[in-house]
Amino acid sequence: MDVFTISLWALRIGFVLLIYAFFAIVARALWRDLRAGVAGSGRALARLLVVGSPEGRPQAGTSLALDAVNTMGRDVNNSIVLDDSFVSADHAMLTFRGRAWYVEDRGSTNGTWLNGQRVEGLAPLGYGDEVQVGQVRMRLERTRSE
Amino acid sequence: MTRALYRAGIRPHLRMRELRLLVVVAVCLVFGWVSLESFRQGQIAIGDAASLAMYLVALAVIHVAFVVTGRRMDQILFPTAALLAGISLLVMNRLPQDLVVQSVAGTEVALGPLQLIWILLGFTVLAAFAIFVRSDGWLRRYKYTWAAAGICLLLLVFVLGSVTGGARLTLRIGPFSGQPSELLKVILVVFLAGYLAENRALLATGNTRVGAYTVPPLPYLLPMLAMWGIALAIVIVQRDLGAALLYFLVFLGLLYVATRRAVYVLFGIVLFLVGAFLLYVLFTHVQERINIWINPFADPQGAGYQVIRALYAYGRGGILGTGLGAGLPSVGSVPSIPAIHTDFVFAAIAEELGMLGALAVLGLYLVIAERGFRIASAAADDFRALLATGLTLVIVVQAFIIAGGNLRVLPLTGVTLPFISYGGSSLLVNGAVIGLLLALSDRGVEPPPPGIRPNAVVRAAQRARDMGGRIEEALS
Repeated sequence: MDVFTISLWALRIGFVLLIYAFFAIVARALWRDLRAGVAGSGRALARLLVVGSPEGRPQAGTSLALDAVNTMGRDVNNSIVLDDSFVSADHAMLTFRGRAWYVEDRGSTNGTWLNGQRVEGLAPLGYGDEVQVGQVRMRLERTRSE
Repeated sequence: MTRALYRAGIRPHLRMRELRLLVVVAVCLVFGWVSLESFRQGQIAIGDAASLAMYLVALAVIHVAFVVTGRRMDQILFPTAALLAGISLLVMNRLPQDLVVQSVAGTEVALGPLQLIWILLGFTVLAAFAIFVRSDGWLRRYKYTWAAAGICLLLLVFVLGSVTGGARLTLRIGPFSGQPSELLKVILVVFLAGYLAENRALLATGNTRVGAYTVPPLPYLLPMLAMWGIALAIVIVQRDLGAALLYFLVFLGLLYVATRRAVYVLFGIVLFLVGAFLLYVLFTHVQERINIWINPFADPQGAGYQVIRALYAYGRGGILGTGLGAGLPSVGSVPSIPAIHTDFVFAAIAEELGMLGALAVLGLYLVIAERGFRIASAAADDFRALLATGLTLVIVVQAFIIAGGNLRVLPLTGVTLPFISYGGSSLLVNGAVIGLLLALSDRGVEPPPPGIRPNAVVRAAQRARDMGGRIEEALS
């Protein structure tokens, strides 16, 4: 066995082993995704931080945990009750579909506003965007990972 | 620079996972290349690595393009396709170069460089689809137009197609020639995704009563019969068993994913068996395929030659393989297995990289399947989920049909091994398929048009209020 034969053998085994190294990295990524998925289920998907609320119900600084479907309004049966005199009984809805959040107005009197623009139909929103319902201003935030 | 990009609405986004995987791909391909050249020259050498260098630069350019445009797409699909195409580049450079020679712009280009050109074009298509497809309206809205275009394409092949290798596959228009069946599979998936997304509810829950039995809604099964008819027509007129099998399997898979009803799959299998039996009785070319599959040694120098040579190749390869360049894919310039650069490329890989290498290649298709189905399960609505499922199935099922055919697990049917076989149509279309999957996985893609779902949620919310319960209970 001379040096050339051995290095040729090492090269060709190395080539195949590197394909398996590729699998190892993919498997690790997959494992992390799965773990993140397990850790993420059972907790709130995201939260709404109340940034401004002149009438104080809810108070500014309150953090509201979000489910996949959240109805907002003054009626007590909404999942997020906003007791503000400019909020309609059934005002708006915030939904998480697959991987993005959407906000839509449910025929309110004063409208739903996303980053200062009135929401028409279904509007996608990202983390950090600000939703205004009546006088209540809320910011969509990621739940802390720990 | 960054500020100008931000102002244009483009936010660069690092893709570390993809970068890491691409580095592994690059190192792996360099190992493969050096091992091939060293064997050829009898000393450690890298030879003329221009085509490998060009390929790696192209991968880097595409990665940077994804980063700069800030696409938040799946980070594993592209490196996987890149590794498959890289293996193809190695194999095509290793095979006898005069298997395919075409003149491009006055110069004769042989197999290896030609495959490089097609891979680069295919990856350009991939990157273009991934970056520029920002909405799916053009696929969603015109599904019947797509179906009509597909059928026109099929009829065109029936009438004008020229015969290669006993099958009427190739369409020549002027200087260009291509295999429309590759394009047709994508059009078919687009149409089926649109049709099934629209009629999903009916197909999944509707029932018709026949006597004492409850059966699925029969009128909605007509497309299934039409699909079966098209598959049969492809086998009879075009003699293309592989494409017919692929279309029918992808169709059954999508139907099951859309409805979750095993009855459809059973019905489909019954149809398949009936069709297969009829074809076997009526057509000699089908009989021939089955007979070769059952006993290739009946005619070792004639019909069974290809399959037998492939079996010998696996034997020579063993577990670790002979090493790149050390196999026996050609005697002089005559390849040991006919069609070794297209249909039987899997046998060439299995000989030189051994069982370990062949399993690794199959594993790469499994990675594509996992990523594709993950994209489908995270999709924003039914159409996108079905589209992603269909696109994934098209690549994976095709890979397993031809690998199974090569290994004599299935009767041999001629389809390409995605990203590895030589061939322009195949590389361009598979590039488009992966590009579309990437676009579907992007968080920034335009949200689907509000369909029936928002209203359903509102109605559920109202019902919940009427019942005085919580909305989650009403939804579940």
